[in-house]
Amino acid sequence: MATREPETGWHGEDSDVNHLRGRAFEATCLAATAFGLVSVLLLLLFVANDAFRPFSADAGWLATYAATVLVPLAALAVYYYRLDEPAGEVAYVTSGLPVVGLLLTGGFAVLFIELLSVLEWFALLISLVVAGGLIAAHGRLRPKAALERLAVVLLAPIVTVFGLPPTSFNRFVTDTAAALGLDFGLYYRVISLREAIMMLPFVPTDWVMLLLTLVLPVAGAAGWFVEQRRESRRDGLAVVGLTTAVAVVGVVAGPLLGIGTDVWLLVVTFAVLPLGVYVEGVLRRGEGVRGLAFPVAAVLGVVVGSVVTGALGFAGPDPWLDWGFLTSATSRTAADAGIYPAMVGSVMMIIVIVLTTFPVGVGAAIYLEEYAPSQGLMGKFVTLIEINIGNLAGVPSVVYGLLGLALFIRVLQWPQGSVIVAGLAVGLLILPIVIISAQEAIRSVPDSFRQASYGMGATRWQTIRQVVLPEALPGILTGTILALGRAIGETAPLLMIGAAASVRLAPNSFFDVASMMPRQIFSWSSELDPSFRHGVLAAGVITLLAVLLVMNATAIVIRNRYQRTG
Amino acid sequence: MRDNTMSTETPGPNITSRPSGRAARERMYRYVLLLCAATSILVTVSIVVLLARDAITFFTLVNPVDFFTGTEFLISRNVYGLLPLLSGTLLVTVISAVIALPTGVAAAVYLSEYASDQMRSVLKPGLEILAGIPTVVYGIFALVYVTPFLQTIGLPVNTFNILSASIMVGIMIIPMVSSLSEDAMSAVPDSLRQAGYGMGATKFEVTTGVVVPAAASGIFSSFILALSRAIGETMIVVVAAGSRPRMLNLSDPLANLFQGYQPMTAAMVQINSADSVSQLGFTSLFAIGLTLFVITFLLNLLSNRIAARYREEYE
Repeated sequence: MATREPETGWHGEDSDVNHLRGRAFEATCLAATAFGLVSVLLLLLFVANDAFRPFSADAGWLATYAATVLVPLAALAVYYYRLDEPAGEVAYVTSGLPVVGLLLTGGFAVLFIELLSVLEWFALLISLVVAGGLIAAHGRLRPKAALERLAVVLLAPIVTVFGLPPTSFNRFVTDTAAALGLDFGLYYRVISLREAIMMLPFVPTDWVMLLLTLVLPVAGAAGWFVEQRRESRRDGLAVVGLTTAVAVVGVVAGPLLGIGTDVWLLVVTFAVLPLGVYVEGVLRRGEGVRGLAFPVAAVLGVVVGSVVTGALGFAGPDPWLDWGFLTSATSRTAADAGIYPAMVGSVMMIIVIVLTTFPVGVGAAIYLEEYAPSQGLMGKFVTLIEINIGNLAGVPSVVYGLLGLALFIRVLQWPQGSVIVAGLAVGLLILPIVIISAQEAIRSVPDSFRQASYGMGATRWQTIRQVVLPEALPGILTGTILALGRAIGETAPLLMIGAAASVRLAPNSFFDVASMMPRQIFSWSSELDPSFRHGVLAAGVITLLAVLLVMNATAIVIRNRYQRTG
Repeated sequence: MRDNTMSTETPGPNITSRPSGRAARERMYRYVLLLCAATSILVTVSIVVLLARDAITFFTLVNPVDFFTGTEFLISRNVYGLLPLLSGTLLVTVISAVIALPTGVAAAVYLSEYASDQMRSVLKPGLEILAGIPTVVYGIFALVYVTPFLQTIGLPVNTFNILSASIMVGIMIIPMVSSLSEDAMSAVPDSLRQAGYGMGATKFEVTTGVVVPAAASGIFSSFILALSRAIGETMIVVVAAGSRPRMLNLSDPLANLFQGYQPMTAAMVQINSADSVSQLGFTSLFAIGLTLFVITFLLNLLSNRIAARYREEYE
């Protein structure tokens, strides 16, 4: 051990000096810990100031809102922190859930506006359900035919859906086939169930389709969850019934209030339903009920504040980051510039990553944790894989961009800067992170669970599917959300695969050229005009960071809630 | 890794009704999952092969010796010398290391030895947040806020300069140093500390004389990982460090800090986004990329080796 020999006599003889030295050392270390945090916090304050320009408002406006919103909320926060910790968590979740819900609503709304119509979504989902039914039926009828099953599993979705959500995938397939001289006339002759539904002369109205394919399934899942938790079928059915009722009421009453029916259904699904289930649970348990005061106070404060400022005629601030910024395309003039097309690009890129990287990463983690032999040739191969994954996590992001450029654009000749290329390149970048975090989650499932399952005669795959994965799911989700957060912010790969510097129109297919949020922000950073540099740029940075913050907070809440203790 | 005493086959007496289909299915799942795991090898292989393919094309036209020892990098005149780009990378790495390594270790010491539970619960997630901020945002911090700040305090920095970029790179890699070093320090058993106290040492002496030396291999490996991250950092230097490849000025070292440089990563981005670039210039992108990949890959391997080899085993 590397302890130094004391030079002379005992330690501590000159205790005053030592005391001082120890204190100074501790203070230095604390300062070092705080250095990065404080400097970034200061920089963030500068950016937020540039983005929101709070001091462009009247002093009266600021004072009113400080009195109606800030002071009550701060008082409540102090109260929760000091006296009522469970209520603090309730306050945190009830304020956070609507934000996450609205973010999801926004994501789906973007999906329906830009990517596929409600009818297309309806047709796609029905086709997938039919494909799932076919696979299940085959399993019932011919349970022994494993190879045949593999064929059915692969072919059933292809036959019923024939392609990915945007119809351009069909075009891509036919065009690629045509380019290779193989013209099967696929697009015209084999009409999938999805396309057949699309061609139906009579289709239900949009809201009926959304209700059937989005609200009811999600409500059903929530109902099932409640039923499992409370072991009460009635409560589960009540959740489904109430959600449907609220949705239908909103559809009828929505137009009177000026809310679009589709938006209303999305809000019900992603914000009202989870919030309702959570609040009901809090009220029933009677634990931390006071936490509900926080969101109520926030809403009341904003309402009162707006009434007072309206009555007294105080002018609000003129922020760069406002609704117009979020919903318009970029522009040469700073005042008109917005981030909308880039947000759509980011959302679509995330869809590609979730569909490709997530299954592969989790699959790899399952193999490495549950199957991998530790001896023999395969054992060596597995060790190689593990070391390799560790190393891939340290490869610079720009190299992944170069890989994307070389593989997808130069070798496979996919369109430069398209969403799918961006998604795959960034997906490869986060693959090692997804694998490593999923491995940790799977490893934390106690071995006794597996032994119990084997003891009941379950095979290894049954054990994994029924025991290990459900137990590890929160951990896997946490890791994946954090990795997706990393993916949203990555810029260098986007530059290498040629994502557009800025686009006016949002992409509406995975093969469209698109810009993503960080790419758009980077383009703004080279503008010299101060209204870009200290306005639009700051607004873009805050938007990106807000999305990241919400994602990370969600991940942390999931982790804290389901963390395995002991 | 899990030991493999558990057999995949269903146990002897067949409780289940249809064993053959089930065994086949089990095998199928195993192979599908193995395929997922093997993807990572495929990624590494394709990085090496695809980068090498174009890099070799480049090196058949440009002498590798000229490439690695050339002191000028000018695509428009087909002069490809790596040294100016390496100078930029070196500067960023050194300056950020000067900031991040001592700060990171001190933070690790504080978190592992001094911090109360409450402080830890605030500071640790805080440092994680630093690591989660997108690098393009750090670049914008450097360009829009730090550089003007440096100018106001009287430093003669250019609009694009290596100093503010490196400061932000340094802040970005602090969490990497601190979290890995803290893991190493927390792994030092308490009995060693107690032994130190038993000999009459103060907390300061135990920390600097016992804990830090005992955790040295972990700390060192975290240093190397952080350096590798700084070398590969792209967006901060692209946004804030300028786009002029430049050799180090050895006669006036301080002046180097205030100028713009173009590190390797930034050069790659610029070559790729340039409007008109010759075929040769474009392939130089892959030569630089391969060099970068090899450097960072070796550093990562080295870091793993150090952590594994010189780790002091307790118990």
